[in-house]
Amino acid sequence: MLKLLLKKQMAEIFRSYLYNVKKNKARSKGGVIGMIVLFAVLMIGVLGGMFTFLSLSMCEPLYEGGLGWLYFLIMGSIAIILGTFGSVFSTFSGLYLAKDNDLLLSMPVPVRAIITSRLLGVYLLGLMYSGVVILPAVIVYWIKGAHGVPQIVGGLLLILLISVFVLILSCALGYVVARISVKLKNKSYITTILALAFIGLYYFFYFKAQVLLQNLLNNMAVYGEKIKGSAGLLYRFGRIGEGDWTAMLIYTAVIGALGAATWIVLSRSFIKIATATGDTAKVKYREKTARLQSADQALFRKELNRFTASANYMLNCGLSTLMLILGGAAVLWKGGELVPVLENILGDAEGSVAVLLCVGVCMIASMNDMVVPSISLEGKQIWVVQSLPVSGWQVLKAKLKVQLGLTLIPALFCIACVIIKLKPPVLTLILMVLFVTLYVIMMAVVDLWIGLLSPNLNWTNELYPIKQSMSVLLALLGSFALVIILGGLYLLVGVRLGGDLYMGLACVLMAVISVLILLWLRGRGAKRFANL
Amino acid sequence: MLRIENLTKTFGDKKAVDDLSLHIAPGEIYGFIGHNGAGKTTTLRSAAGIQQFDKGEIYIDGVSIKTDPLTAKARMAYIPDNPDLYDFMSGIKYLNFIADIFGVGAQERKERIHDLAERFELTADLGQPIASYSHGMKQKLAIISAWIHTPRLIMMDEPFVGLDPKASRLLKDMMREVCDGGGAIFFSTHVLEVAEKLCDKVAIIKQGQLIRSGTMEEVKGDESLEEVFLELEAE
Repeated sequence: MLKLLLKKQMAEIFRSYLYNVKKNKARSKGGVIGMIVLFAVLMIGVLGGMFTFLSLSMCEPLYEGGLGWLYFLIMGSIAIILGTFGSVFSTFSGLYLAKDNDLLLSMPVPVRAIITSRLLGVYLLGLMYSGVVILPAVIVYWIKGAHGVPQIVGGLLLILLISVFVLILSCALGYVVARISVKLKNKSYITTILALAFIGLYYFFYFKAQVLLQNLLNNMAVYGEKIKGSAGLLYRFGRIGEGDWTAMLIYTAVIGALGAATWIVLSRSFIKIATATGDTAKVKYREKTARLQSADQALFRKELNRFTASANYMLNCGLSTLMLILGGAAVLWKGGELVPVLENILGDAEGSVAVLLCVGVCMIASMNDMVVPSISLEGKQIWVVQSLPVSGWQVLKAKLKVQLGLTLIPALFCIACVIIKLKPPVLTLILMVLFVTLYVIMMAVVDLWIGLLSPNLNWTNELYPIKQSMSVLLALLGSFALVIILGGLYLLVGVRLGGDLYMGLACVLMAVISVLILLWLRGRGAKRFANL
Repeated sequence: MLRIENLTKTFGDKKAVDDLSLHIAPGEIYGFIGHNGAGKTTTLRSAAGIQQFDKGEIYIDGVSIKTDPLTAKARMAYIPDNPDLYDFMSGIKYLNFIADIFGVGAQERKERIHDLAERFELTADLGQPIASYSHGMKQKLAIISAWIHTPRLIMMDEPFVGLDPKASRLLKDMMREVCDGGGAIFFSTHVLEVAEKLCDKVAIIKQGQLIRSGTMEEVKGDESLEEVFLELEAE
């Protein structure tokens, strides 16, 4: 039974790797391998590369100072934070909100088996995020430090223990969210606010950690002794990676016990939470005359409702809206200090600060990609818009408007704040506004194009289209890559052209790309949507 | 009101609908029966403009669904076999969304929602999210949304599934009202007793082909519709 459920869960998680939705058939072996290699390259290349670099810079001095355990403690802590951060948002919906809960509960399937199969999905996500930190850390230690049998066993065990600990933390937080959410009315907003507070805390500690880390490396012997003396458990944790058998035994027992306790609590409370309809007060209907809207406005409102109804959707695809506003406010607050610093760094190159600040605003705006999963999120309800007297283009346009509205307005606010502090000449000012506007428009149409290329209407959990689809990954990485190219190209060749000319040329290019994709969306894209 | 001419739709190697022609006149309740997988849903989805078809032509009130889909869709309503509605909206938001798309005026809309929701005893639940609705409540909401813009043609796939007896009776009365007002109803059903009592005309589809159609008397003669259907299926 469990094997069957695990197989189903795996098929669901890796559906996009095994099945080509566009062609409505299974991928060839080559195609599957290609998809897996692409994903591995992206994960290992982008995130893994970053943490390999961090490991390389820390491992040698700490190992040579006899503080290998401190190295594993630091890298292990980062892995736990990143792993929990990466999987916690999906734990609640992954465990309790799956659309096949009713079906599975109605069958003679033990709840334990359902929980175990669901946990596998959460575990894999946590393993993936924690693995990109701790796996390079362990390998770097084997190369730069020691690589005897105890270190190899310890390193492997550390990876396993961290991934299980991440699962325990994610489940504990997911359980709390589940208990609270049964009672809440405006779940999506409250969950979003709580999650944002969590993200804020994460970044607060992340930035503090940079300073702490440097401080730690400068005074490693002093801190090492302090931690060793006063926090024995942390010391033991780091010792696992160094191949300390006692530490391995203690932590295996503790995490094993915690894991078992989590599993028992979840098994016992699963049915109650998964089938809870909530005991919140019924919304009383008051008859009133509705404010009339045009078909386009109604479609836009529908898309906006879809977006704000899901905390997962808002958190994963709409973070830029908040970040751009905060960024703008930060520029107003600290911009007076930032601009002269940038001018000093960039020297005489005229307009460089303007270009790079524009690129920075675009970078923040890139995190908004709500239009990518919006096609897949139509799901089984797609018949509604397809049967109504609206064209495919009208529906697509409404999806585009949501991304544009939620990105362009805060992006313009952000760039306005930059302009206030930078006080550029009129032409530069116009070009800065145009640059940011055209980037946001281009990314919106590119994102919609990506979303239309391989939609998946048969998901059982909204997290798959929102977070785990190849389209979303492509859109996110693509937009980051584009911003890096825009900034890099300026530093390589644009400096010689001057800021204004570079921005002007970039604007023309972005406008041309946007128009071409828009034409495709209006024609073939709209037809493709109508025939989904 | 609905003219289907030589409709053919293929999925892979399988012909789901094969050269099917039907004509539904104003004032008619037209039943569409056939076993599972016979091609009923494919025909209805094609007529509703949700699904493209390989050959043939479909006209809604004289307008081609192929060449002028928006005008054609504005004159009809469709209810699928499983009312998957927008879970993230409340009942009233969904009805207002549909009414906005069809451009139903404020007063007209208010009166219709009031009247239909009262008849289906759904008024108290209109403020609730659709996610909290039972299957029957969703079906009632789908019916109200289909009737809200007073379409000339209503197409329904298994409309009685999930409805309580009172709502079923109400739906039958409403179907008759539409036809008495010059509209037409085209619906599929497996409940042959309902089809026999309610329909003016009936069509039987088997393996994508129309095997019999006409007035109820023409199709069933002296036998019951169930007997005729089972005989035709056995052939």
